[in-house]
Amino acid sequence: MIKALGYFLEIIRGSIITTRHFVVNMHFHFMKLFRIKTKRKGAVTIQYPEEKREIATRHRSLHRLMTNKDGKPRCVACMLCVTVCPSECIYVEAAEDPDLEVQKYPSTFIIDLSRCCFCGFCVEACPEDAIRMDTGQIEFAEYSREDLIYNLEKLIG
Amino acid sequence: MIKIFIDEKAIEVEKSTTILKAAEQAGIDIPHLCYHPAFPPEGTCRMCLVEIEGLPSLELACSTQVKDGMKVSTKSERVIEARKGVLEFLLAEHPPDCPICDKAGECSLQDYYEEYGQFENQFNEFKEKREKKVKIGKNLIRDMERCILCRRCVRFLKEVTKTQELGVFERGIHSEINILDGVLVDNNYSGNLAEICPVGAMTDSDFRFKTRTWFLKKGESICPLCSRGCSIFIEYHEGFSRFTLPKRVYRIRSRENHKVNGFWICDIGRYGYSYIDENRIDKIIVNNKEGGETITWEKMVILLAEKIKRLYYIKKTSRIALILNTWLSNEELFLINKIFRNDLSVENIYFTDPPEGEEDDLLLTSERSPNKRGAREIGLDLKPINLETLADKTDLLLIFGSFMFDQFNLAEIKSALDNIKMKIIFATHSNEMNSLVDIVLPMSLIAEKEGSLTNVDGIVQRFSPVLMAQGECQPEWKVLVNLAKELEINFRYYSQFSSPEAILDEMGKKISFFEKKSE
Amino acid sequence: MSETIIILIKVVCALVWFLLITLYLTWVERKESAVIQDRIGANRASILGIRIIGLFQPFADAIKMIFKEDFTPRFSRRFLHNLAPFISFFFVAITISAIPFGDVLRIGGQEIKLQVMDINVGLLFVLAMLSLGIYGIILSGWSSNNRYALIGGMRGAAQLISYEVALGLSLIGLIMVYPSLNLSTIVHYQGELLFGWLPKWGVFLQPLGLLIFFFAALAETKRIPFDLPEGENEIVGFFTEYSGLKWGLFMMTDFMEVLIVSTLLTTLFFGGWQVPWLAADGFHFPWGSEWLLPHGIVVIFQVAAFNIKVFFFCWLQILIRWTYPRFRYDQVMDLGWKLLIPLSLANIVATAILLSI
Ligand code: SF4
Ligand code: SF4
Ligand code: SF4
Ligand code: SF4
Ligand code: FES
Repeated sequence: MIKALGYFLEIIRGSIITTRHFVVNMHFHFMKLFRIKTKRKGAVTIQYPEEKREIATRHRSLHRLMTNKDGKPRCVACMLCVTVCPSECIYVEAAEDPDLEVQKYPSTFIIDLSRCCFCGFCVEACPEDAIRMDTGQIEFAEYSREDLIYNLEKLIG
Repeated sequence: MIKIFIDEKAIEVEKSTTILKAAEQAGIDIPHLCYHPAFPPEGTCRMCLVEIEGLPSLELACSTQVKDGMKVSTKSERVIEARKGVLEFLLAEHPPDCPICDKAGECSLQDYYEEYGQFENQFNEFKEKREKKVKIGKNLIRDMERCILCRRCVRFLKEVTKTQELGVFERGIHSEINILDGVLVDNNYSGNLAEICPVGAMTDSDFRFKTRTWFLKKGESICPLCSRGCSIFIEYHEGFSRFTLPKRVYRIRSRENHKVNGFWICDIGRYGYSYIDENRIDKIIVNNKEGGETITWEKMVILLAEKIKRLYYIKKTSRIALILNTWLSNEELFLINKIFRNDLSVENIYFTDPPEGEEDDLLLTSERSPNKRGAREIGLDLKPINLETLADKTDLLLIFGSFMFDQFNLAEIKSALDNIKMKIIFATHSNEMNSLVDIVLPMSLIAEKEGSLTNVDGIVQRFSPVLMAQGECQPEWKVLVNLAKELEINFRYYSQFSSPEAILDEMGKKISFFEKKSE
Repeated sequence: MSETIIILIKVVCALVWFLLITLYLTWVERKESAVIQDRIGANRASILGIRIIGLFQPFADAIKMIFKEDFTPRFSRRFLHNLAPFISFFFVAITISAIPFGDVLRIGGQEIKLQVMDINVGLLFVLAMLSLGIYGIILSGWSSNNRYALIGGMRGAAQLISYEVALGLSLIGLIMVYPSLNLSTIVHYQGELLFGWLPKWGVFLQPLGLLIFFFAALAETKRIPFDLPEGENEIVGFFTEYSGLKWGLFMMTDFMEVLIVSTLLTTLFFGGWQVPWLAADGFHFPWGSEWLLPHGIVVIFQVAAFNIKVFFFCWLQILIRWTYPRFRYDQVMDLGWKLLIPLSLANIVATAILLSI
């Protein structure tokens, strides 16, 4: 009986908490509706496409390939990123560079973003700092999977 | 026999062995770069230094012979210090190229540096710039920055091929491995150079940059391109889950086998692997029906057996003809002999083979197919085809492989085959031949099946599948066994052959040549 | 003739009121939960870029539901499977006909009762219809041919039957106080005054009965904390195999039940359309002053009072749904059989004793 009573009290306490939230938030919502400036907002939600949160500098976003001064990709086609990628979503084909000083360059470089898990291992593995994930771009949803397969131009672009 | 101690482990060795070989027998690994078991020790790299009790300085394990009661230590502090020092000097002019170096992953220098590296740079000087891509052989590209001057390549050309195209030019820091007067290294064994070079100084332009070594899996196999039957490793890529690769096999490397090929293989076998992936067929094709109707292997075998049985019951098996080749394994030839010659008394058995080529005095033989000796030992006589008689005498023709093209041109074959009612080809590749016949059956290659081959010296070598058979491809022996069972002439006998091993055992009992040879 | 037309108009009005509010309850629930949890809630549905705090959301939901695939599992009893949601829907929707929205409205010498059907046994009718809704649940669970749906349906049936008892018993005290089963009569009784100033509402005469009724009714709506039959996210419920519009019907039924419970609470315990001290000709305050009003205004006052009370209880129920965790099944059964039923019996006895004094 006492237990039941205690339970009952807790129930009431619970509903008081939610009611308080309701009333307080509604108060701020109304203030906003009538354009009265308040220190607090009624909700913590960010209205995403209109409001955006700042992306931290270390945030891992869409990949990009770095280029040398002459505009050629910095990548040397060593395939270390291919090796380390846990999702097996990078594909590199190397080709002999006509430049006698340079050994090879990536003739094909594909990242299948539909599979990428954004672990950032490829960035860590790259000995040339040729691949980075610092574009800050997080909106690259597409209507088909094929469009998520990024090739060399798209990655440099 | 004398007794020595390596790292306090007592071992007994022959008298005039070197410490390195003795350690190898004891299972102790001594780092070495210039030493190669095929050549006498040279002692240029100094990687193999070991400490010998009682001697003031460290000694070279590759060239020091053992003495009774000698106490060697390979892991003492001094030795390790020395290794670090040697590596530091080797790398003084060596570029940090591993990410773009084809050798990375199987490079001795890289491995040793992982273990005994002196990771702090103590040099202030810049590294010398050298030529990085120079074509010095028909398939060889040399990178002088990476060379550690071990002279393995020079010694190979001097002692194995005796052609001596390469030499060491200049001196000191400028010394380089080079060719004389621009004459390229062009012999049938040049591919071995890229393999024995302990570092990435000598790269193979066929394999160069195609993939990385650690992606490759290797499987033991036998080279089928001449009757020597050299032991090889087939190195293949299993592929990525999301991307299709252009091919499976990326390179062929030699496998040590002192009975057959020693350490080497020739360039024909090394570079002639593209047939494994190119132009393959993987489906049964039925030509005379219009729609692309599919038929299963079971139905196919039954159909074939019906055809043969019909001829058998009206005593017309003489109207059956077979065109074989010596790419078939011992087991398959034995089965064909048994089924067609013994059971069905078919006499029209012909052979077509790739044309003979030039032989050399090292490995390459003139017979450019792997199993001629085996066919002879089984008792098949290697009759060549006569197209006219073939066309007249035949109702059912079974063709194995399409080597007919090497002897006749398309028009000749077409006119001959047109007269034959039923033609079936057991094919591995798609070519014009397939459109001339009624049924094309997809077959596995030697790299994809199990069996044995008899080489030119009569050595019977077994091989097992390295690659997965693609699509509907089946090995010939399996089809033959199924066919024999379906013929119901000697069902019990053929049903014991569940694997090529069982067939080889049976061969050992029947043919004295194959006795005890199933190695 | 004019009788029929009036009835038709009443039916249409009641149904439109009922469905519209149900529709908007879905939105209110989302908004209210959002406000409770410091969120904003559904606000993006727009027509031509006009959003008005998401008021179009229910229509967006409806369109989505209509165009979703209506999937019937292959091994289900197809006919019953399709029938079940309609049964649920129908029996809840029909209860609204017995609820009085207001007193009589006089237009051109005609007296129109603001109630679709004035049945003598209105209370029994409502209870009967609510309990028939169980069939929808059992049928949907069984005809889906999915063992989890079946178990969910069984849980639902067991829970509803248990609370049906408490629900009925809790109202007996009320019937003793207002000796009638006719809902409009009950409301009329609640217009009288106690001690000359306190409205004679059920909440003052039957506080215990109210509590029991409220709990039992909450359990009848199958919502958190009593959502064992369906358990949206953790336990698989009876309409697992439903999709599209049929699932939508179940969802609507849910909210309709919320609304029905609110109207019943209002009608039975909070004076229905009664406004304190408002008689047919205006206000008569207990301290003697009067404020006479024309008939039309009085009716508007009454209907508004009814609506405000109903909305408050809808709000309360949604608040409860977003405050408490779910009961364990044995706790649900304990609460029903071991607490509510004995209490309601005690309530009857106590009421009887008090009445006889
Ligand atoms: S982020 Fe991770 S998963 Fe994505 S490409 Fe790089 S390594 Fe692969
Ligand atoms: S790790 Fe860097 S350099 Fe190597 S292939 Fe990947 S992106 Fe190119
Ligand atoms: S030769 Fe060996 S150590 Fe030198 S760059 Fe190539 S892999 Fe690295
Ligand atoms: S090229 Fe290779 S094998 Fe030849 S000397 Fe240099 S490191 Fe040795
Ligand atoms: S291996 Fe002994 S000196 Fe090179």
